[in-house]
Amino acid sequence: MMTSPQEKVISFSEVTKIYRRPGLLKKTETPALRGLSLELERGEIAGLLGLNGAGKTTIMKLLTGLLFPDAGDISVFGLPPSDVASKKRIGFLPELPYFYPYATAPEALMFYAGLSGLSGAAARKRVDAVIEKVGLKTHAAKKAAEFSKGMMQRLGVAQAIVHDPELLILDEPVSGLDPLAIHEIRELISQLNDEGKTVFLSSHSISELEKITDRVFIMVQGRLAKTVARAEWESTRGGLEEIFVQTVKTGNV
Amino acid sequence: MTYLTTTWNIALHSLRENYKHRFFGLFVIFAGILIYVSLLAGVMAVDEEARVLTDLGLALMELITLAYALLAAAAAITNEIKTKTIYLIFSRPVPRPAYLAGKAAGLYAASALMLGVMGLIHLSLLYSRGFTMPPFYLKAVFFIWCKLLMIISVALFVSFFATSTVSTVAITGIFWTLGHFTSEAKFLVARSSGAAAAALKAVAYFIPNFQLFNVRDLGAGAPAAASPGFLAGYLLLWMVVPYLFSLLLFRKKEF
Repeated sequence: MMTSPQEKVISFSEVTKIYRRPGLLKKTETPALRGLSLELERGEIAGLLGLNGAGKTTIMKLLTGLLFPDAGDISVFGLPPSDVASKKRIGFLPELPYFYPYATAPEALMFYAGLSGLSGAAARKRVDAVIEKVGLKTHAAKKAAEFSKGMMQRLGVAQAIVHDPELLILDEPVSGLDPLAIHEIRELISQLNDEGKTVFLSSHSISELEKITDRVFIMVQGRLAKTVARAEWESTRGGLEEIFVQTVKTGNV
Repeated sequence: MTYLTTTWNIALHSLRENYKHRFFGLFVIFAGILIYVSLLAGVMAVDEEARVLTDLGLALMELITLAYALLAAAAAITNEIKTKTIYLIFSRPVPRPAYLAGKAAGLYAASALMLGVMGLIHLSLLYSRGFTMPPFYLKAVFFIWCKLLMIISVALFVSFFATSTVSTVAITGIFWTLGHFTSEAKFLVARSSGAAAAALKAVAYFIPNFQLFNVRDLGAGAPAAASPGFLAGYLLLWMVVPYLFSLLLFRKKEF
């Protein structure tokens, strides 16, 4: 099912999320998101930028139905994130993905392809193509336990795209990778976007977001502090970094 | 994709996860050694060697598969949460009821596989001593599996509120032990009053009666504890009710 150009791929409306930790006498409450509203258009690459604890991963988890909001509305392709119909159209790469240590890349991908509705020869064909695409073909016989961090990340990207989703949600996709792997992942993301996929990614790396995204949402303490378009940071002295630093320092909410 | 296909995929994966785990192999090897060591007891039993070897073997199979099943069920979902592999499952079109059913089915299948392998080892010992398979043997192994189905379902439920794998195993272990004394508890209920009666009633009615499935006793010619229909219904009840309670806790769980 394709999205119409007018349809918002992602929509957050006044979303609040509070983490509650049970204590001896009372619960400790930590607000992670406060009244967040943002939208993503079809075909764009948008980034989330913020300090640790700014709420980036919380947004990713809310989008994939791993967390539930305390207030506000979230929709993905016009549906609630927990709806299986919206999940079919999403590919998610969590930060530092972990795989079953006994499984090889093709075994792991066949399992995830199966869960996404692919089966038989079609699934096998797709798995082979994706392994080739992420550069894991020479390591296809290795078990995940033998994988380096870079290989894990590639396998993470592979599982996110194995079912050919329309929306990719990538949490720190280049975290901890060497420069060559970063370059390859970046190229892959651009290529996927050229194929028409919408990409929503979070990163600590300002330069990465600057290179790849069309728009960046700057998060400060659970609030959307600023939305910056490519044209804005390209015309600002100091680029996105300067805008980010100023936004965080002034708490520009 | 239907619930059934997802459940099937999760179940197959859960089974594979179990038999590829080194503990699975270690438990089978340990059981094999113990079953063959029971030969000593059989030799000492002289005329009763066949009966002693059969009873000891079946008891060992039950206890070792129980130990494995409790550990596996206690860690099945908590490990997926700890290692975050669950992120890659629930970010896909996987309904939580299907996931839970698949995980349970995989554990049921893994315990059947373990019992099957141990049964073959046990039968090899009996045949090597010149005995044949006792007539109630398959039924006894099947009923051991039935008891395991119930305790696995309970362990999965307990794992959602217990603080650790060890506490899940401990709580479920207590269930298992008490479940072999429900008949005695019912007898004592009739003779007690007050708090003691309430506690005994809880044991009698809120803990599965595993004694109903102790078909090993049939070897001694004991009559069946209940009709097949009642046993099937009882088994189903103790598989479905813990599943539904697990689902209640799991439905809105955040990761």
